[in-house]
Amino acid sequence: MLYQAIVFLPLLGALIAGLGGRKIGEKPSMAITTGLLMVSAILSWVAFSKVALGGHTEEIELFRFMDVGGFKANWALKIDTLTAVMLVVVNTVSALVHLYSWGYMDEDPHKPRFFAYLSLFTFAMLMLVTANNFIQMFFGWEGVGLASYLLIGFWYKKPSANAAAIKAFVTNRVGDVGLALGVMTIFLVFGSVNFDTVFSAVHDNQDRILSFLGMEFNAIELIAFLLFVGAMGKSAQFILHVWLPDAMEGPTPVSALIHAATMVTAGVFLVCRAYPIYEAAPVTSGFITVLGAFTAFFAATVGLVQNDIKRVIAYSTCSQLGYMFFAAGIGAYNAAMFHLFTHAFFKALLFLGAGSVIHALHHEQDMRKMGGIWKVVPVTYIVMIIGTLAITGVGIPGTGNIGFAGFASKDLIIESAYDAAHGGSAAGAFAFWAGIVAALMTSFYSWRLIFMTFHGKHRGEKKVLDHAHESPLTMLIPLGVLAFGALFAGMFFYKKFAYGVNDFWGHALPMQHAQIAADNLYAAAGTTMSDEAAGHHSYPAWVLWAPFIVSALGFVIAWFTYMYKNGVEKRVNAEGGPLYNFLLNKWYIDELYDATIVRATRWLGDVFWKVGDIGIIDRFGPNGVAAAAMSIGKRLSKIQSGYLYHYAFIMLIGVAAIIALVMRTVGG
Amino acid sequence: MIIGLAHYLTVAAILFTIGVFGIFVNRKNVIIILMCVELILLAVNINFVAFSTHMVETGANEPLAGQIFALFILTVAAAEAAVGLAILVVYFRNRGNIAVEDIDLMKG
Amino acid sequence: MPNLYLVIPEILLAVSASLLLGFGVSKTKNRAPIVRLIAIAVLVLYSVLSFLLGSQDGEAFKGALIIDGYARYVKFFIGMAAAAGLLLAGDYLEREKLDKYEFSVLTLYAVLGMSIMVSANNLLALYIGVEMQALALYVMAAFNRDSLRASEAGLKYFVLGALSSGLLLYGISLIYGFTGTLNFEAVATSIQSNGLSAGVVAGMVFLLCGLGFKISAAPFHMWTPDVYEGSPTPVTGFFAGAPKFAAIALIARLVMGPFGDITDQWQQVIIVLAVMSMFIGAIGALRQTNIKRLMAYSSIANMGYALVPLAAGTVSGLRGMLIFMTIYLITVIGVFACILQMRIRDGMVERISDLSGISKTNRGMAIAMTAFMLSLMGIPPLLGFFGKLFAFYPAVQSGLTWLVVLALIASVIGAFYYLRVIKTMWFDESEHEFINPVRALSWTSAISALLLIGFVMIPFVARTGQDWISIAATSLF
Repeated sequence: MLYQAIVFLPLLGALIAGLGGRKIGEKPSMAITTGLLMVSAILSWVAFSKVALGGHTEEIELFRFMDVGGFKANWALKIDTLTAVMLVVVNTVSALVHLYSWGYMDEDPHKPRFFAYLSLFTFAMLMLVTANNFIQMFFGWEGVGLASYLLIGFWYKKPSANAAAIKAFVTNRVGDVGLALGVMTIFLVFGSVNFDTVFSAVHDNQDRILSFLGMEFNAIELIAFLLFVGAMGKSAQFILHVWLPDAMEGPTPVSALIHAATMVTAGVFLVCRAYPIYEAAPVTSGFITVLGAFTAFFAATVGLVQNDIKRVIAYSTCSQLGYMFFAAGIGAYNAAMFHLFTHAFFKALLFLGAGSVIHALHHEQDMRKMGGIWKVVPVTYIVMIIGTLAITGVGIPGTGNIGFAGFASKDLIIESAYDAAHGGSAAGAFAFWAGIVAALMTSFYSWRLIFMTFHGKHRGEKKVLDHAHESPLTMLIPLGVLAFGALFAGMFFYKKFAYGVNDFWGHALPMQHAQIAADNLYAAAGTTMSDEAAGHHSYPAWVLWAPFIVSALGFVIAWFTYMYKNGVEKRVNAEGGPLYNFLLNKWYIDELYDATIVRATRWLGDVFWKVGDIGIIDRFGPNGVAAAAMSIGKRLSKIQSGYLYHYAFIMLIGVAAIIALVMRTVGG
Repeated sequence: MIIGLAHYLTVAAILFTIGVFGIFVNRKNVIIILMCVELILLAVNINFVAFSTHMVETGANEPLAGQIFALFILTVAAAEAAVGLAILVVYFRNRGNIAVEDIDLMKG
Repeated sequence: MPNLYLVIPEILLAVSASLLLGFGVSKTKNRAPIVRLIAIAVLVLYSVLSFLLGSQDGEAFKGALIIDGYARYVKFFIGMAAAAGLLLAGDYLEREKLDKYEFSVLTLYAVLGMSIMVSANNLLALYIGVEMQALALYVMAAFNRDSLRASEAGLKYFVLGALSSGLLLYGISLIYGFTGTLNFEAVATSIQSNGLSAGVVAGMVFLLCGLGFKISAAPFHMWTPDVYEGSPTPVTGFFAGAPKFAAIALIARLVMGPFGDITDQWQQVIIVLAVMSMFIGAIGALRQTNIKRLMAYSSIANMGYALVPLAAGTVSGLRGMLIFMTIYLITVIGVFACILQMRIRDGMVERISDLSGISKTNRGMAIAMTAFMLSLMGIPPLLGFFGKLFAFYPAVQSGLTWLVVLALIASVIGAFYYLRVIKTMWFDESEHEFINPVRALSWTSAISALLLIGFVMIPFVARTGQDWISIAATSLF
């Protein structure tokens, strides 16, 4: 019952608040959804200790979903360490966000609806992570997409929010087509959509060839790629990343929950869940590595110059997701999941902190109109600093885990990339260097955010500053909890996630890669984890120090740009320059889409609509048939004259005709 | 000339055709239609009786069945005529005439 | 006398109808209501009996009647449909001052005729059954003696019905002459041993055409719209259901049994009837303004769909036909329960435009009617969808894909007028409010609607029903 409760309590909350919200009122529906989610979150930690720490995996069949021919899918809860980690992340962040929303959404008139959506999202996300087959996963996948659409467009009277919601939905559709095709291909190749069945059959189908779009593909590579297209859409990887920054039009708690901590990580989860497929698909894995690394780099460059506080964090999310993907691409699934785990804490923290700032400044989001408010909102300031330290990965190099949450996980990823590069992977080498450079930029834009927001002189209207106030307790408590996570999550769980100590991962993830990394690291630190490790090489010191150094460098550059004499920043802003504009306009990706896909689609749509649809299909299709049917109907009703002799005549003609027709075959 | 089965069948077919034609060629009186219906039934009776008398009694053949069938047809035809005339009377009371061409209240 | 045991349901009908005929005559009292109640009870009893009693198969009256799973299944639904028809008729007959006990008696005799049709195992029994139900139905069509429309409907039905009986008989005489027997099995053996002869084929065509009239298959459908419009509404409702099921069941028995060896020939007849019915039914309905006329064309089209699986000539085809007809029967009862509710203070109305805006004034009826229309269109999850699915799938399996494509095109055309009814109910301005219906009507429509929605939800019921149908279908082979 434990797992059923975890998954279905949010649904219960969503139903109560969504359907009965008006009847039972605002406060009760908020209390019910938040309360249920809290229970669910606590139970998740219980489940986590049972499954991940105690090693009790479980698979619970709830009921049959579909059973058509050979196609079977169940509603089931597959609980292993991978799921348990996601349960903890999703429910914890969701519970905190629910609580946070009490304060943040205080003035909103539609609170029950908001809370119902939040709970609904949580339920869909839980369905996604507990699935034991691809169909249920797809259900959850679409469910979170729907909830995301509803929440981005929550302020439906704002045109930009509606546009952003639609953009998110449409972009995700592109990815979903890939995912759906992937699932179909899986069924085609394996005859099943059940995880266990599929994964155990991967090995036997390694050399299957499928022809698709007129070309021949290795079946496993094709599946891996199609699934990854789905992951790209959901997790905002390059090309399909355009919706994520726009999604910041939604309320900030939503951004924290959906667009930072949980939904966008679904793609990473998918790749990790389907690791047996990716293990057998080296080409696609290489592609994932390169694309992830590029996204990490690309998003970081754009983040450098954004002025909207939430957009900076959004690009940072995009960039961090890139890290997770290239980790998964080089086979360090545990590193990807670890970063997912820690990232959930510090990114949710940053978002909620930013929300707190926005709340304090009466929904001002432009950092150019902020500054010097650290005294007004001290708690928010402190937690934001913690979040920044976590994302920039501050810690003691070489120890592995003594540092903020991001330090432990990000350095693990970079070291894994180094391993891959060392093993001769060009993609790994690219990922390693992109990771280092991105870390530099991450540090820069993160500190830039802090400096522009909290330090210096206030650049907005004075009135706003005078009314600024620290957020209420309902908002500060979640911040505190998350800050705690951002501080210690890395230290606590490093060994478990990174090395699978005490069989932490069970069979959920492969550990060969982690073993190498662990041995190397321990060799570097001068200690040994196991005797065999002595035979391995160790990381050079510069690999261990590089992330820390670039992070510090980023801080220094940001300091000089934004704090020191306050000079460089203004000049950059004023003079711009091509590079600055290029970055400010996000590499002109949106414009590129507009010029190519959007315009071409519109032209094609016009052609289809005016020529194809109205001119041909309507004319000869529905309208033509309708007109013909009508005129035949008119004639028919003339034949139906009411006269007996006409009726009898038609009957006899009918008999004669049928006899003639049938006799033809008798041949007599 | 020996009158064989074919001759009976031909007569019956002619009678049947006359009956059928009578139904849609006649445009005057419903009574004539009733008569034509009787004609059709009689044609069928001739068929049955002729088949019956010319049937060899072998295997599953049932020569008598045709004659029994003819008797049944006569009975049913009587009932049918009764019902038909009754309906016609009802119609006449409502409409005032029984011209076939006037039975066109409902159409389309 | 084991034989008599098998026909107890029929004997029950015959005896109780004759007794009720005598009982109903009374100078002082109007005994119609009590006769009707008894008749309903008799019909329900008949249904149950015909289903329970004949758990063993067999033949009665020297092979004239056959009782098998198929007959049992069809009889059960015919009896139930007739009982529902009588139940619905009560209120109408009372208000229109037509409440005569003969109505119930005629219904019983008609059902007796249908029962014989369904069980017929030789051509004589077939003829007697057909005539028995036809004669009763002629009178019922003209039941409203003071209405010109009703008597015209009766007259047209009678004249054309007599003509069709003539065709049917002529066909029987030819089959008798060329096979030498009336018994279905003997006919089959004779055709098997003597091969194809023009006489038998011609007889078969005449016979099928005569029966085609009974299911109002085009081009023998011409009577349908006029008779449906003119007859009293409960009679129309009765016409649309039970007799159709009985006649199509008889056709199925004929083509599977005696003509089982000349599949190519009868298949052509069935296909021609099916295609013409589907299209004439669908297109003819487009311009109708009277709801009863609309239902007439709708039933023509539906008979066309029901013939599609029959054309396949397989067990699954027969199953599809039975499923389709059962669902159609339920729908039609519900639709006429709704039509009978179309009563304003001045009396009955039957134009489609009279339904405008009833979603505001008579919400329950509008919902039920919408369910029926959607079901007739074949929109899932309503039962009508599954009816069409099971009806068309066997045809595809037997390689008649083109026929199914035509059926689907006809369905699409047909969707137009069903949708128009829905649109009228929900989106047009209301003209007038119907007075509160009696409980029998509203409950019947509600139950039918629930059946259409509910059956899908209850897998157990669906499973059992399918088992019955499978047993029924296989018993013909």
